[in-house]
Amino acid sequence: MMNPPALEENQAEGNILVWLTGFAFLAAMIGIFIYVPTERTEGVIQRIMYFHVPSAWLSFFAFFVVFICSILFLWKKDREWDIYAHASAGIGVVFCSLVLITGPIWARPIWGAWWVWDARLTSTLILWLIYVAYLMLRAQSSAGSMRARYAAVLGIVGFLNIPFIHFSVLWWRTFHPQPKVISNEGIGKGMDPSMLATLGVSLCAFTLLYFLLMGERVRQEKLKDEIDRLKREKLYSS
Amino acid sequence: MDNLGFLFAANAFVWGGIIYYVYTLRLRNRALEKDLDLLKKTLSKEG
Repeated sequence: MMNPPALEENQAEGNILVWLTGFAFLAAMIGIFIYVPTERTEGVIQRIMYFHVPSAWLSFFAFFVVFICSILFLWKKDREWDIYAHASAGIGVVFCSLVLITGPIWARPIWGAWWVWDARLTSTLILWLIYVAYLMLRAQSSAGSMRARYAAVLGIVGFLNIPFIHFSVLWWRTFHPQPKVISNEGIGKGMDPSMLATLGVSLCAFTLLYFLLMGERVRQEKLKDEIDRLKREKLYSS
Repeated sequence: MDNLGFLFAANAFVWGGIIYYVYTLRLRNRALEKDLDLLKKTLSKEG
């Protein structure tokens, strides 16, 4: 039987991750504001890409973890998987919110509008709403396995929107630019190498941040579980 | 250097969002740790 991955509460490992994440973000900031050249047509505003794309990547990755952990929870009925799914969904919603904030800030000077109802933007908004609903479901309904099961189903269904988001710019004519990193020309062929390197560092920094946040969120859920267990124990003993 | 304000705004939102999220997470975890300690002490006193 497969056991859920154990997130060790090891202070030393946590500190290493904090330092690594900090260093990666410092390198990313140097890349974004010093190293990388200014894009010819869009100017400095294009540098938003180095926050916008990694935020999108992180949210998709977080929702992928929700998808996998939800499947494993429904299969194994192990609370650990439910904890991981719940923790990852919260992180995903935070970074999907950042995508929906930085996108319009980038769009306003380039498209002349904060928002257009095209396929990419609308499907991303729908993704955000699905996982906000997931978090509301978890917050509103009473604790128990039924809540976890409903949430797991929503977590799985919500993820099915992500391939649709990715392909939306290829299937329909949209304002949103076509993929540059993974395109028909190959991986990273549509970008300047310095831009690709900076984006790569930024993606690494955001991915490390995900694991850091995941450690904190999982710890939070486990603390809540422990408090609930002790409260029940106290109730039964009195 | 047009649109520098937009770049600054996006940067501020991302950093502000991340810092606020990390801060609230840490704060909540600390509060939960205190609750847990208190509960453990109460339970051990009650024997």
